[in-house]
Amino acid sequence: MIRGVKWFLSAALVSASLFLAGTATAQVTLEVMNPRGEIPPPPTLGITPRIGDLAGKKIVLIDNGKFGASNFLDVLAQMLKEKYPTATIVMYPKPAAQTITNLPKWYPTVKQHGDLFVFGVGD
Amino acid sequence: MPGVYFTTTEFLEDAKSAARDRGMPGIRTLALPADKYYVARGDKPRLQLIAAKFFDQMVSDLTRPLTPEEAKPAQAQKQVEDANIKVTGKDFQDASEKVNELFLENRWADGLPIVPPTPELVKAMEAGTTRSPSDVLGQVAPKSGTATVEKIAINAVMAGAKPEYFPVILAGMEGFLDKHYDLTHVQASTGSFTPVVLVDGPIAQELNFNSGIGMLGHGWRANSTVGRALSLSLLNLGQTWPQVNFMGLTGRLEAYTFYTFAEDTAKSPWEPYNVSQGFQAGDSTVTVATSWNPTIYGGGAVSPWTAQGVIDEIVARIKGGGVRWPHSQTYILVLHPDCAVELANHGYTRRSLQEYLYEQTRVPYEKLNKQVSFGQGTEEEFIRASIQDGRIRPDRAQIFLDNLKPGGRIPVVQSPNDFHIVVAGGSPGYDLLFSYPGTNWAHQTKKVTGATLTKAGR
Repeated sequence: MIRGVKWFLSAALVSASLFLAGTATAQVTLEVMNPRGEIPPPPTLGITPRIGDLAGKKIVLIDNGKFGASNFLDVLAQMLKEKYPTATIVMYPKPAAQTITNLPKWYPTVKQHGDLFVFGVGD
Repeated sequence: MPGVYFTTTEFLEDAKSAARDRGMPGIRTLALPADKYYVARGDKPRLQLIAAKFFDQMVSDLTRPLTPEEAKPAQAQKQVEDANIKVTGKDFQDASEKVNELFLENRWADGLPIVPPTPELVKAMEAGTTRSPSDVLGQVAPKSGTATVEKIAINAVMAGAKPEYFPVILAGMEGFLDKHYDLTHVQASTGSFTPVVLVDGPIAQELNFNSGIGMLGHGWRANSTVGRALSLSLLNLGQTWPQVNFMGLTGRLEAYTFYTFAEDTAKSPWEPYNVSQGFQAGDSTVTVATSWNPTIYGGGAVSPWTAQGVIDEIVARIKGGGVRWPHSQTYILVLHPDCAVELANHGYTRRSLQEYLYEQTRVPYEKLNKQVSFGQGTEEEFIRASIQDGRIRPDRAQIFLDNLKPGGRIPVVQSPNDFHIVVAGGSPGYDLLFSYPGTNWAHQTKKVTGATLTKAGR
């Protein structure tokens, strides 16, 4: 333990003193390394063009499985039906507890159920 | 397919961050007021009032033409984090304080003081391993920062680790970065999970890891700084931050050092834990495992206990929780040496104890939860779905299928191997049960290799 403390103190002092030499004042400059790693960015994609009007469309409401989401989407469904009586509301819950491998397989299935979607409620 | 996402105000930054990470920064997202939504979410009339305020915006977001930026956003640039930083102070103490302020401001530190990671100290850390500083261990979720040996060394210096600990830290990171480890969950979840970091084999003693009284507490530099080095590496390479994209509601209970301890192989009546995992006797290993906070059993120094009584209590506790996610459920049972020896005296081997726990914790079919929860259906539906999509392995599936009927008894885990039994703690001691109710696998053991400053782990 004591050996470790000595190691740290001496290393810190050595590194600090490296920058003392050549300066007119007693200032100390510490050079430190960045702890973050490089991030390869994914390709950036635009979002899908919108549909001009909801009338006559199939609207998929996706319950993300968190408590209360189905209640919220039920409320939205009712409001959509009242305002857009020709629209079709499809409740299509996302299976929760998905594995990393099968979630990507599930998302494309949403397209088979309608023209646009509302997803909620994320946390 | 056009769409709109609902989240809440507390998670809006998290949602935006995830959208950027996935390359779709323009996703239209609406944030319900968190302070109103969560308390109202079981009550449709109250939700009606909230939804009414967002309805027109939702319709607009679904129908309004895209802006040019939404349609064709600028490509994200590679984030390069290599440049060293020079910080000047009136003396060493001042410069060191400024480094600490800068790092915390940049979200590169955990709130405790850090050791300034000078090139000299980083080089000294790197000398603890034979591995090249440029070796890449993997990409750290959620933002996929590249974990090189050098970057991990920088974080290890910041944590106050000694160079001889470095191969242990690298082995821990290899565990987190294994493709079968669900790192995103522990890095982001509201569940505030804390990793267990178990060091096993001769290197634990050589580096003076605590495996006795107070093994999860303070006072041992190896336990504290190895755990902190892993914590800082995950923080900085995954680029997580509370209230931004680490949404653990309470924060981890062992946020700074994780649950880092060593097995007491000398007092254990059984073979070392890592041997039970297929490693050779004499190997040094690090096991990392996401865990819920542990529950405590036994009487410690206060009450009488029996080894069988401890096990019965643990069985009752597990059984009471039902069969939630058997495809990924794991337990780490840390028995204090006296309890382990008592069990051994009663004829238990590690394997027979695993089998006993597996058998005794099986839940009667009639007790399965028939309520739909988490959008996954009933417990029976979820188990059947897990069999169908292969999350419950084909070689274990038949046991579940045979028992999904009246009179059946359903296992809470896939196999006895999912009860990981470790010996550590004091005399007297308590027994700890760590569980992981996650949805994906998050338990890996890696061999310590490449050590240059210790006899073990070479």
